[in-house]
Amino acid sequence: MRGPGTAVAIALLLMALATAGCGLGPGSGVKDAELTVTRDYGTVPVVHRQLGDLTESDTVMRALERNAEITTRYGGGFVQSIEGLEAEESGGGSLDWFFYVNGVESTIGAADYALHGGESIWWDYRDWDAAMRVPAVVGSWPQPFLGGYDGKQRPVAVECLGGGSACNEVEERLGAAGVDLSSRPSSGAIRILVGPWLQVRDDPAAAQIERGPQTSGVFADFHREGRDYRLSGLDEAGDTTVDFGSESGLVAATRRYEEPPVWVVTGASGAGVRAAAGLLDAGDLRDHYAVAVDGAKETPLPLR
Amino acid sequence: MRSPFAYISRPRPLQLASPGAAVTYLGSLIVVAFLFSNPIVLLAVGLALVIAGRLAAAHAAVRAALWMGFTLALLIVVVNALVVGRGETVLARLGEWPLFGQVDVTLEAIVAGLVLGLRAAVVMVGFAVYSACVDPDRVLRALRPIAGRSALTASLVSRLVPVAAADAARLRDASRLRGPGAAPVGRAALARRLLAGSLDRAVDVAATLELRGYSLDAPRAENRRSRSRYDRRFYVIGLAVLAIAIAGKAFGAGAFGEYPATEIGAGVATLVVAAAVALSGLAPWRRRPRSARSALSDRRTASQSLPAGPRI
Repeated sequence: MRGPGTAVAIALLLMALATAGCGLGPGSGVKDAELTVTRDYGTVPVVHRQLGDLTESDTVMRALERNAEITTRYGGGFVQSIEGLEAEESGGGSLDWFFYVNGVESTIGAADYALHGGESIWWDYRDWDAAMRVPAVVGSWPQPFLGGYDGKQRPVAVECLGGGSACNEVEERLGAAGVDLSSRPSSGAIRILVGPWLQVRDDPAAAQIERGPQTSGVFADFHREGRDYRLSGLDEAGDTTVDFGSESGLVAATRRYEEPPVWVVTGASGAGVRAAAGLLDAGDLRDHYAVAVDGAKETPLPLR
Repeated sequence: MRSPFAYISRPRPLQLASPGAAVTYLGSLIVVAFLFSNPIVLLAVGLALVIAGRLAAAHAAVRAALWMGFTLALLIVVVNALVVGRGETVLARLGEWPLFGQVDVTLEAIVAGLVLGLRAAVVMVGFAVYSACVDPDRVLRALRPIAGRSALTASLVSRLVPVAAADAARLRDASRLRGPGAAPVGRAALARRLLAGSLDRAVDVAATLELRGYSLDAPRAENRRSRSRYDRRFYVIGLAVLAIAIAGKAFGAGAFGEYPATEIGAGVATLVVAAAVALSGLAPWRRRPRSARSALSDRRTASQSLPAGPRI
């Protein structure tokens, strides 16, 4: 005969399960999210859906599985193919599926990434020979400023590094998108650096851009020409393809180690910075890794 | 008390077959269980092994292996359901657990656990039938020309286990004879006593093996007599099962996907492989009553293959 200890243990277990938020089924519904599937650095759209059926038990993998034809590998932990596009490694290059939630590359697998609602999920099929890691992208604007990343809301800080009127424009555009700006800088904030490259490059995260896409994940480069800097666009292989003019600008995102993502709104000159600030809207940034602007001409990066 | 997995010599085809033939036949079924994760094929392998075991009169071994296998399978299902949160169909949310994190029980994880458990159970039945139907002495004798020292070591180990079991039974009986008032002897105390005496018993077993001439070469006539008229049947069926399984795999039979959604291939190729494998379980079938002469011949072969192990 079992003693009262067993009954107490069972009662405690049931109480613990009840208080831990347990229950049958997938749980209650959460806010809608957005799913985008593209290939070749966002240039070719494959799937775009508004996810209205999310529940609190949903992960990036479950959301994808319900909305696209996929196959997986390694016990369901990694995506092998979406809509028939298979990951492959051959002499021609290494092609694989990468995903971003709110424009930030995840450090955990899609099957373990829990969704809370409101996220922007972006799967992209690309060659990763030139940049194995692209830690952050700008194509989910106004994310990550609205919803944060890794399931947590983060403060947002604009750092004006000689950007002048461009700083005001960046703040206005963030405000118009519904982003609350942090009044004082904090260590966990997602930062937006606004200013000419000469000053922005002093920031350790932004300085990664000069070390190439393998380090920063940004397919752009600034090189010195006399006392000024000039912006170049790189192709998928990381080679310089285009030298932009003296009034060119760049909007890009990067991340140093596990620090919060850093966006740069910069240019070779003040005019370039202002042109870059004008790119901050969904129409110009949508599904791009980074965008350069030269005069009135916008160029998604990497170049193709 | 004899273990249900202990070999018993019986005049049945599987017991009378040479070790190579029996191992080829049973081994091919176990290889198929590892080649395929499709539950239809795994069930077919399990069915074949159960039929083979029953035709070889290894009822106790099959029963015990099924019991142990299904217990293990249940454990695997529970652990997999708690540890693996992948899969599309969430059946229950069990909240945050220490070490496990968020525990979501999914239908796919349960099915994946069932497949793993089924494979474990099938392999256990396969080894149980092997253990109960294939004479270990004949296996070791077959191995002696290839690896003499290994065969001797294996002989020693295979005899130590029943000796330890017999010692344990004697110790248990002795503890019971102390009367109802005596404190019961726990398993730990029994295991300690067995361990303490294991070196002495190993020396006894080794000495007995040496006295029986285990260090000498096996007589050639003895080696010649290890063939049976059933050998060809088991070789042919074992190799045919392997060939069908490999060909089936090449033609896409036995497709199975666990995550994110369970996909069980049940196409023609899968069904053909499963049917062939299940039918191979009839290999140990005795087709018709044997004549007195062949029965006598088989009995002689069986008696020659009786273990020459020690009676310690």
